[in-house]
Amino acid sequence: MKIARSLFRGSLLAYTALFFAFIYIPLVVIAVYSFNSNPVNMMTWTGFTTEWYAQVLGFKTTVSENALYIESTGQLIQAVWNSLVIATSTTLIATVFGTAIAIGLYRFNFLGQRFYRVIMFMPMLMPDIVLGIALLIFFVNSGISLGLTTIIIGQCTFLISYVFIVVSARLAGMDRTLENASADLGADEWTTFRRVVLPQLLPGIVGGALLAFIISMDDLVITYFIAGVDVTTLPMFIFAMLRRGIKPEINAIAVMMLTFSFVVASLGLYLRFRQK
Amino acid sequence: MSIASRRRVQLAVLLGPVSLFLAVFFLGPLAIMMVTSFLAPGLYGGVEWTFYPHNFGRILGFADPMFEDFDPVYIAIFIRSVKIAALTVFAALLVCYPAAFCIARLSERWKNFCLFLITLPFFTSLIVRLFVWVLILRQTGLVNEMLLSSGLIARPLDLIYTDGAIILGMVYVFIPFMFMPVYASVEKLDWTLVRASLDLGAGPIRTFWRIILPLTAPGIVGGAIIVFIPALGNFVVPAILGGAKVMMLGNLIEQQFLAARNWPFGSALAMMVMSVMLVLLLVYVLASGRRGADATLNR
Amino acid sequence: MQDSIVRLEGASKTFATPEGGSVTALDAIDLQVRRNEFLTLLGPSGCGKTTLLQVISGFVELGGGRILIDGEDMTDRPPYRRPVNTVFQNYALFPHMTVGENTAYALEVAGVAKAKRREQVAAALKMVGLEGMEGRRPRQLSGGQQQRVALARAIIARPKLLLLDEPLSALDKNLRQAMQIELKTLQHELGISFIFVTHDQQEALTMSDRVAVLSGGRIQQLDTPRAIYDHPVNSFVATFIGASNLFDGRIDGDRLMTSDGTEIRHRRTPSAASGAATALIRPEQFFLEDGDERFPTLDVDLEAIVFVGSTFELFGRTRAGRKIIAEIPAGRRNLIGDIERTRRARLAYDPAAVHLIQPCAEA
Repeated sequence: MKIARSLFRGSLLAYTALFFAFIYIPLVVIAVYSFNSNPVNMMTWTGFTTEWYAQVLGFKTTVSENALYIESTGQLIQAVWNSLVIATSTTLIATVFGTAIAIGLYRFNFLGQRFYRVIMFMPMLMPDIVLGIALLIFFVNSGISLGLTTIIIGQCTFLISYVFIVVSARLAGMDRTLENASADLGADEWTTFRRVVLPQLLPGIVGGALLAFIISMDDLVITYFIAGVDVTTLPMFIFAMLRRGIKPEINAIAVMMLTFSFVVASLGLYLRFRQK
Repeated sequence: MSIASRRRVQLAVLLGPVSLFLAVFFLGPLAIMMVTSFLAPGLYGGVEWTFYPHNFGRILGFADPMFEDFDPVYIAIFIRSVKIAALTVFAALLVCYPAAFCIARLSERWKNFCLFLITLPFFTSLIVRLFVWVLILRQTGLVNEMLLSSGLIARPLDLIYTDGAIILGMVYVFIPFMFMPVYASVEKLDWTLVRASLDLGAGPIRTFWRIILPLTAPGIVGGAIIVFIPALGNFVVPAILGGAKVMMLGNLIEQQFLAARNWPFGSALAMMVMSVMLVLLLVYVLASGRRGADATLNR
Repeated sequence: MQDSIVRLEGASKTFATPEGGSVTALDAIDLQVRRNEFLTLLGPSGCGKTTLLQVISGFVELGGGRILIDGEDMTDRPPYRRPVNTVFQNYALFPHMTVGENTAYALEVAGVAKAKRREQVAAALKMVGLEGMEGRRPRQLSGGQQQRVALARAIIARPKLLLLDEPLSALDKNLRQAMQIELKTLQHELGISFIFVTHDQQEALTMSDRVAVLSGGRIQQLDTPRAIYDHPVNSFVATFIGASNLFDGRIDGDRLMTSDGTEIRHRRTPSAASGAATALIRPEQFFLEDGDERFPTLDVDLEAIVFVGSTFELFGRTRAGRKIIAEIPAGRRNLIGDIERTRRARLAYDPAAVHLIQPCAEA
């Protein structure tokens, strides 16, 4: 019996180790092979190079004949810039809207509140492609020309949901008697909100904003449908490159993006888990 | 101003602008899409403003006799998409469920660290995570290179551009979606109940089926739904790992909009995806409402 | 100068239940709280005591009637404009503020200057025995310390009235008893009225100047602890406070006859000459008959004899099957020995100690 149990324990532990290996080994592999000098067969190691990084970042070093260069570093930078502009605007709008609605639904009781709450979950659960084409039809029919504006509006529809959920969760965890205590001690509604509700809500708002920013930076499907012909975002840029064929430069871009988001997300998550 | 009317003003300020925004830019587009799905496709891409049920007919078996005979290819794609999404859910559950048990019993520090590791990839680019699997699975990819050089196979295997590749890719990107709800119910599981069951003479297997599984079912169902919905209409994963060979609903819809320019038919397909989502959501809300455990929707 | 600090006149409140019905939480309550009084609201859960407290603090609007605090009508005033502070059941300390900031909160929102605030915070914390703890966070404190912070925070603005909503219920027994005495001392030092809500009768009897027993949204009895214990006005109060033996019956001269033929003697009073009434005998009013025939007795078959330290508790039935509970001082062991052998006891009582409850006082 004892042996059976420890055997079970051991296999569960091994399984979990495999689980993490499944998640992380592919990422390690790509990181290592992004330094492979083989321009054609990226998974056959021929030597160490930083050439692909250099080319992505715009300072080409050696030009080997087989190398297939990315179109231009300028396009990549433009795509990154677009993504940042979009993510910043959507984060701002979605955070204000999502927080407002979370507070509204928390503070007040009104008819149809439960229904409202379910509606607020819908944009998040709606499959990307459905929302993407619905927005495309809508914008084309209403004569709004596709571009940055339509992307920002389109992303906001579902990012509001995410912020709403994160802030709502924070509100739900809050002790309502604290507001009563504040009123009891002589603070009016506004003072209570400013001094008691908001400080406790802040981590939720920041968390929601961070989530919105990251999802906005990463959104491909909805943006893809409503971007029009002139605007390209970073995920769209990579998607287009992938569809044309795999080149070592994509590898380098991928690793740089992974590193960037790992650092940012690690910081954010670390702070959150520490707080708990 | 009375307290009641001041509260009404506050409520209007908080909810008004957002409601208007979502009504115009969320519900509005969905309504227009619904209308479009019942319009006739124009000859050169546009729509004709006549009631035309044959967009759904092409999928469900009553195609417009003026243009074509019914071709079951669309319903086949629909069924195939449902099948792939269901297999994704099953595989993701198989991957996450045992790990959730292991992690739930770790110490607080390790628990948090593991959750951190699982959440982390969610914050990195989806497309990059999928691209990694292209490098691993393709003909000249890591797996084939390793197998070839070790002499186990003579010709590269067809790994990429298969149903299996799509399922693998979707499981990979949806792991956090499945893991978190499953883990939440596994962690809440009261182990004294398991001990009680063993004490009352049930073996480990019976205890699993009669106690552990039913008690963690809410998490499993929740995870299944939030993996199934995006998997069903997914278009990025099949586009990258399925190549041109494997057609799923998502790609079909994309094709109708960007290549074939048959918007009404594309809208009808999207309506099908959306109705599956709404039905699942409704079932979940009703079921959890009956259990009285609708904590997810009702703060 | 008026002699009541709080006056409720016909205070009523009904709540709608989720099922569509309604519950009467307060049923036209009239209540006057005196200056410098320690008043306890006592009752089972759902009796309306918490609602009554919230009506005074302003968190529940009255459905009918009005409330005056220090002579001013407060019925329509929001909580933050009432000269009343509350110690909440779970303390409700702001987790994002230090002990000092928590304590200073009422002064801060009232616009008191910083230096003055610091001084008063120090004084308030000293008063509750938490000197120098200003910099701590609430979650670094023990339950008892959090309790004291909540207290300091509530008294710092010198309210005319302090409300305490079951503040001791989360503390363990020893700490609770210590706090009971401290609260009483504090009330004397501050010289303000305390309204204390509890469901613990022992706590109510120990601390209060007066106790209001609530049930069904009404005040059943409002009196000193001793009066409530010795002379409950109805059988609800009699059974809710302390253990009791109740005998329903008809009065006939100086005896009360129950329907099962039990006879209870009592001291004849002019007001209780005849008619239906209930006789109350507290368990400790019984003693063991030892041959002296001066007192009336009840013969009881014992079912259990429980030693609880200072006393023996006897559980038994009369011949007619009526349950009787009695408490005998443990000093009289020789008599207990006999009883334990025979399992029977002759319980005597003094007719002067029998309290008669008139049916008209029944709620």
